Amino acid sequence: MKSRTFIFLLAGLLALANLAPAQASAPMSPKNLLLKNGNIITVSGGTIEGGDILIQGKKIAKVGKSLPAGPDVEVIDLKGKWVMPGIIDSHSHIAVEGSVNEMGDLITAEVNIKDVINPEDINIYYALTGGVTTIHTMHGSANPIGGRGIVLKLRWGGSAKDLIFEGAPTTSKWALGENPKQSNFSGPGRARYPKTRMGVEAAIRKEFEEAKDYMRGWDDYNRKVKDSQASKGKKPLPVPPRKDLRLEAVSDILRGKDWVRCHGYQSEEMLSIMRLCKEYGVKLVCFEHGLEGYRITNELVQYGVAVSTFADFWAYKWEAYQTLPHAAALMAKRGVIVAIGSDDAERMRHLFNDAAKTLRFGGLTELEALKTLTINPAIILGIDKFSGTIDIGKDADLAIFNRHPLDPYTVCQMTLVDGKIYFDRAKYLDDMKKAEEEKKKKEEEAKKAKEKKNGAED
Amino acid sequence: MKKLMTFLSIIFAAGMFLAAQTDLKILIKNGTIIPTAGQTIERGSILIENGKIAAVGKDLPTPEGATIIDATGLYVYPGFIDAFSHFGLTEIGAISSTNDFREMGRENPEVRAAWALNPHSVHFGTSRINGTTTALVAPQGGTFPGLSTLVKMDGWTFPEMQVKEVATSLINFPMTPRPPKEGVSAQQEAKEDVTSKLVEKIKEYLDEARRYLKLKKLAGENPGVTPPAPNPKYEALAPVFDGSLPVIISVEKAKDIELALKFAQEQKFKAIFRGCAQGFKVADKIKKAGIPVIIDSLYAGPSEPEDGYDAPYRNVVELAKAGIMLCFSSGEDAALGKDLIYHAAKAVAFGLDRNEAIKALTINAAKIFGVESRLGSIEPGKDADLFITTGDPLDFKSDTKQLIINGQAIDMTNWWDNLFRKWSARPIK
Repeated sequence: MKSRTFIFLLAGLLALANLAPAQASAPMSPKNLLLKNGNIITVSGGTIEGGDILIQGKKIAKVGKSLPAGPDVEVIDLKGKWVMPGIIDSHSHIAVEGSVNEMGDLITAEVNIKDVINPEDINIYYALTGGVTTIHTMHGSANPIGGRGIVLKLRWGGSAKDLIFEGAPTTSKWALGENPKQSNFSGPGRARYPKTRMGVEAAIRKEFEEAKDYMRGWDDYNRKVKDSQASKGKKPLPVPPRKDLRLEAVSDILRGKDWVRCHGYQSEEMLSIMRLCKEYGVKLVCFEHGLEGYRITNELVQYGVAVSTFADFWAYKWEAYQTLPHAAALMAKRGVIVAIGSDDAERMRHLFNDAAKTLRFGGLTELEALKTLTINPAIILGIDKFSGTIDIGKDADLAIFNRHPLDPYTVCQMTLVDGKIYFDRAKYLDDMKKAEEEKKKKEEEAKKAKEKKNGAED
Repeated sequence: MKKLMTFLSIIFAAGMFLAAQTDLKILIKNGTIIPTAGQTIERGSILIENGKIAAVGKDLPTPEGATIIDATGLYVYPGFIDAFSHFGLTEIGAISSTNDFREMGRENPEVRAAWALNPHSVHFGTSRINGTTTALVAPQGGTFPGLSTLVKMDGWTFPEMQVKEVATSLINFPMTPRPPKEGVSAQQEAKEDVTSKLVEKIKEYLDEARRYLKLKKLAGENPGVTPPAPNPKYEALAPVFDGSLPVIISVEKAKDIELALKFAQEQKFKAIFRGCAQGFKVADKIKKAGIPVIIDSLYAGPSEPEDGYDAPYRNVVELAKAGIMLCFSSGEDAALGKDLIYHAAKAVAFGLDRNEAIKALTINAAKIFGVESRLGSIEPGKDADLFITTGDPLDFKSDTKQLIINGQAIDMTNWWDNLFRKWSARPIK
């Protein structure tokens, strides 16, 4: 299945040779780029109507009105199109080779998405067509501790290494509730511990205690090494403890090094894991989905934990039932940092439509709605100094639309990552037209050749 | 607006639902009326009597005893029709005890959505908030999933909701390539033309059904002939054979659409296609056959990467351009029924004429299901199914202020409103 998928994708990529990869292999990359006459939604400081953005290299150099072009600057006239910061999808599973769940064990903190990045996933290109420039891609929710996730920039056409967002903190994906307790699993396979929420908590605690013990073992060892060195060899060098990659990873979590992203739906469960994280000094940054987060906004704000949720996806399982499409707005209005994530390759390319739903459901302002796709996920991912707003010095990651991005009839026209154009709808339409003409030409040639052959036979 | 809400809240508070009084007259005044049949009427009125639209126009006199809804600054549209859904057949996807849309086995032409539909599903209340007043509720799965039903989005019981107890039969056309779970390799598929073989199997099944019906008829006319053992599956296909019951054929790929066109023609079916993700490649052929198309959820990727990233939306534009009768559907997630309008908006974003989109949501769907004499436009004599909204109904920002179904201003509160009211009240600390 895995290889079949890969072949399919590869075939798709080859078939698209005239389309997406053409852009991918050689994104237009002027050294300096001036975007003129756009409506620039900075997200940090209002909207500049008829404004310009000067991009130098990978960064935004200037934002304002009537900026001079200067030499060596390519100018693109936006003719009143709308520019917003590139969309950041804080919850994604694309660009991962094979399954996103390590089903072999219960706690798999040591596995790392970084090792299985698939830069050829066509969904990267589809995401770009929806204005997405950065994603947080991670493990699934089969395990209480699933593994390490990674932040990627959608530098489509590059290698796995090229996609990595340098400077983003490492994350650890956890999961609570129905998925780790396998409530909705059917088909063959043995029942696995845990089957209850109690078991999920117990499994995490047990691992933490083992990791603490492991850390003590190494601390003890390191101290003895120092003692030995201080004694100039009088005290013998100790035998090192056995290296355990899983417990190393869990230790990093306990040291607060990894930013924890915890999948959870039910409010009480969220409160419980908050208490547990506080007890162990874990850096719990964000709940994934958090469909009942609207009930515990006081507690979320007090703790300082964000929620990466859906606009309106619900009722697909029991723990996703006690919710409403107003949840994102309820949380945001009460001070919770809210991101609207996709969790799905399709939803990813219409996140701007999803954010628009918060205007109706719960009454967010346009700015608040756009924050759920930009600066809020940037804060959650620890990349807000690089992206999330249109400000001088930030990465030139931009999404350009023909109408306001929250307008129901808007279409993404262009997507830039690090100042390079990775998606250009005008070019796409042109390429499609050319491909169509090419196809027709070939068909006609084949027809003619056939006629000729038939004629010869006559 | 405040006036309307105050008025409605008084009605609801008093417990005197409009539904309780069948002889009630309602006059909607001063609204911008988009009838879909004819021109938009600015500051127009609609008179509703006995559940039907009695009059539409400017400056209608107020009949004695009529309840007045002031729609100043608001827009009035005919209720939208969702042309394919599972409303009332499922509550929570992962909980099998709440699911009644998929019978086991491949051939279930006799199973009826009308039997299983739960009028009290929360998804009716949440899915009508964007103006949907009628929906086709269909079963799914296998080759013959069963019989769909056409219902209003409100009613105390199923019989009160039904527009057509049995609306259509259904066929899931074989797909090329076969879904991976069926274990047909690409090589095998190319060699054997698996799809055509499967179509032959469907034809054999239909031929058997025809033979059964013929024999039964013969036995009825001739006491010497032994009637066949009763077969409800075959019986259910009789109205499909005589053309009195349309059949929705779900089909996606261009090649399969061509096969389905041939199939529908050979079988002399009154066919409606559903999906047609690659319809744009054979639009002229679909048009020539005169088969209407139900567009599936547009929250979907292209059928094949070569089709281009925007194929799902471009497809709708191309089908409309070819002159094919289109309608929209919210698709297979009953919990996301309210998204019907967002799918239509997506097609408009990529070039579908907005008025065409509104027609697809109203009169086209009514015509496709043969109920255009009752539904699909604001005209005298038709069912009073309409909604009053704050703006363009395809816009995320617009808010439906009131739905009227069968001439009754219905209770707009739903599952979400109840949660919103409760949890908005939690004090902020």
